[in-house]
Amino acid sequence: MVGGFRWAAMFPDEVWEHVFSFLPADADRNAAALVCRAWYRLERRSRWRVFVGNCYAVEPAAAVRRFPEVRAAAIKGKPHFADFNLVPSDWGGGAEAWVEAMAEGWPHLEELRLKRMVVSDDCLELIARCFKNFKVLSLVSCEGFSTAGLAAIAANCRYLRELDLHENEVEDNCLHWMSHFPESCTSLVTLNIACLEGEVNVSVLERLIGRCPNLKTLRLNHSVPLERLVGLLHRAPQLVDLGTGKYAAQHHPELFSRLESAIAGCKNLKGLSGFWEAGPTFLPAIYSVCEGLTSLNLSYATIQGPELIKLISRCKNLQRLWVMDLIEDEGLIAVAASCKLLQELRVFPSDPYGAAQPISLTEHGLVAISAGCPMLHSVLYFCRQMTNAALLTVAKNCPNFTCFRLCIMEPHTPDYITRQPLDAGFSAIVESCKHLRRLSLSGLLTDLVFKSIGASANRLEMLSVAFAGDGDAGLHYILSGCKNLRKLEIRDCPFGDKPLLDNAAKLETMRSLWMSSCSVTLGACRQLARKMPLLNVEVINERKRGLPLELQPDNCPVEKLYIYRTVAGPRSDTPSCVWILR
Amino acid sequence: MELELGLAPPGSDRTPELGVHGEKRANLCRKRGVDEMLGKATLPLFIQKDNDEDGNGNGNGRQSKHLQELNFGSRVLVGWPPVKMWRRKSDDCGRRRANCVKVNMEGVAIGRKVDLCLHDSYQGLFLTLSQMFPKKQHDGEESDAAYYKVTYEDEDGDWMLVGDVPWEAFIRSVRRLKILN
Repeated sequence: MVGGFRWAAMFPDEVWEHVFSFLPADADRNAAALVCRAWYRLERRSRWRVFVGNCYAVEPAAAVRRFPEVRAAAIKGKPHFADFNLVPSDWGGGAEAWVEAMAEGWPHLEELRLKRMVVSDDCLELIARCFKNFKVLSLVSCEGFSTAGLAAIAANCRYLRELDLHENEVEDNCLHWMSHFPESCTSLVTLNIACLEGEVNVSVLERLIGRCPNLKTLRLNHSVPLERLVGLLHRAPQLVDLGTGKYAAQHHPELFSRLESAIAGCKNLKGLSGFWEAGPTFLPAIYSVCEGLTSLNLSYATIQGPELIKLISRCKNLQRLWVMDLIEDEGLIAVAASCKLLQELRVFPSDPYGAAQPISLTEHGLVAISAGCPMLHSVLYFCRQMTNAALLTVAKNCPNFTCFRLCIMEPHTPDYITRQPLDAGFSAIVESCKHLRRLSLSGLLTDLVFKSIGASANRLEMLSVAFAGDGDAGLHYILSGCKNLRKLEIRDCPFGDKPLLDNAAKLETMRSLWMSSCSVTLGACRQLARKMPLLNVEVINERKRGLPLELQPDNCPVEKLYIYRTVAGPRSDTPSCVWILR
Repeated sequence: MELELGLAPPGSDRTPELGVHGEKRANLCRKRGVDEMLGKATLPLFIQKDNDEDGNGNGNGRQSKHLQELNFGSRVLVGWPPVKMWRRKSDDCGRRRANCVKVNMEGVAIGRKVDLCLHDSYQGLFLTLSQMFPKKQHDGEESDAAYYKVTYEDEDGDWMLVGDVPWEAFIRSVRRLKILN
């Protein structure tokens, strides 16, 4: 590579590193690193932010060795379906191996973001001890740690800027963990403790936020009573993002007016969330800030439609709205009329198992939003009925969707008017939305929808499929199309061995594939594993009885299958219900 | 009205009865009384597979089929609808009180209590029950054959078979449990 050598030697290394600093995207840096050895060396020494989408795709030590100057790391563990209880609790995703390797090789680490990993208190203590310049800890959907671990972080991370705990399972064994923040801690910008279940010492919290003038995000947990919110807001009027605690109390006109004025005092407020147990009584206290809000999360509030409408109609600048289906079609029509800047909508089911009163949230609400909100690009919508016509309209109204997740709650639900499968509707979505990156399907669907997706969804990166398709052809269309597919997760579909084996090479271009309750056999998995050494083929079988998997015949059905590309080979921390085929 | 339970693969020809809001609940939410449950061919919660999958023909291939694998025509499905565990937890036990119910086994004097808030599925509950009241064979050894039938008293005072309704509906209405010998 003589040409490459001369070229690289034209400038000193520092110049090249400066040039590379304009390449923030990992994909661009990866490409640059492949040009020649000199660029590989330069790039690796100048990369300071690393994203590991699958913690088992690479050995921690190898990652740390290759990029010695990393300051910020983000790592993901369990497959997405772990969120819905489909992955055994002992499957893996432990953070120790990574934290130990990072403590060894990245002593200057400042930011760590972990998602769906098992993080022990030991890990947290190691982080607190080893990274002298640690600034940002973000744990999303993790488990395995307790408030004792948080106490270690609080006590030792002198420059902590962000402690962001989002939807974690945290054991509450250290009531006074927040008292471990020393008086000298004044650097907090983000404190999100919304997922903690235990009591919080609000006086300690008041003192803490009182001495952190740069605090922008504060998300409380449900144990913080409404009365105390007033005091907290007085100490942090500069807040941009607030998650309330419990948003209910005995009705008290004095409390209402104090709350109202405390909230009005937060002139920079852009985001609101929390609202546990919120009722109509105290909602109007936030009216004064509604016009400035860009993000509103009411998805834990069981407020009914009329109150929601009164509130949301004031939020003219809303960009993101998360709400319960109690808003109903009527509420969404009001949103469509008022929130012209809306970009993201998520509607969650108040009663997913359908025992209560039916809610009037139907395809009409979705259509109204699609018609009224020209900037809409991300939707998550739980409902009980849908029509192809509605989806066609939505597709026509919103060609800019990047994320479309529709969950019709009863599996196999057809178009309720024509009784046809919803193939036409979803096909319209993928054909119209050329920038679609994420798609979740539901309802009655045949192989036809997969034909459309395979052919049209060229930018699709993540696809979730449940209770759909007729047979192997469906999966084959996806795996032989969808050029940019990274993550595919499938449950309860009649997809079998043939499309997997026929498209084995495709699996190496993807991050991962999950299949559960499908028609895959052990024999196909064995074949796949033999053929593709750069894939880990994990067969998950939670039955504890019967022969070990090594002795089962080829036609043994596979309950759950998780396949991912890796350069690390088979992992060594598999529990007894997971077999990695070789 | 027949309670139709299909073990057919998804997508096979079915014409669901649709209600006003597209839900096909009408014929599937009917309660079954205990007599009816015990008289007819019941749906055992753990079944023995007699046909050996390992082919060694000497009965070692017993496997217990967990509740989640029985496709009750989509009634009891793990992880469906796809609502995050964390969100469900916040809703269900939002009051943060434990949901303890008494558990008695027929013929056993001493009952136990189980906190339903610590469980999020039938599978977990049965695991706990089987640990509290392990099934004994005649020789006193623990057996992994089919577990007992578990019933519960609901808010109306009726005794129902555990596992018939979705988990969320179950924990709202259950008052106490009884394991039948």
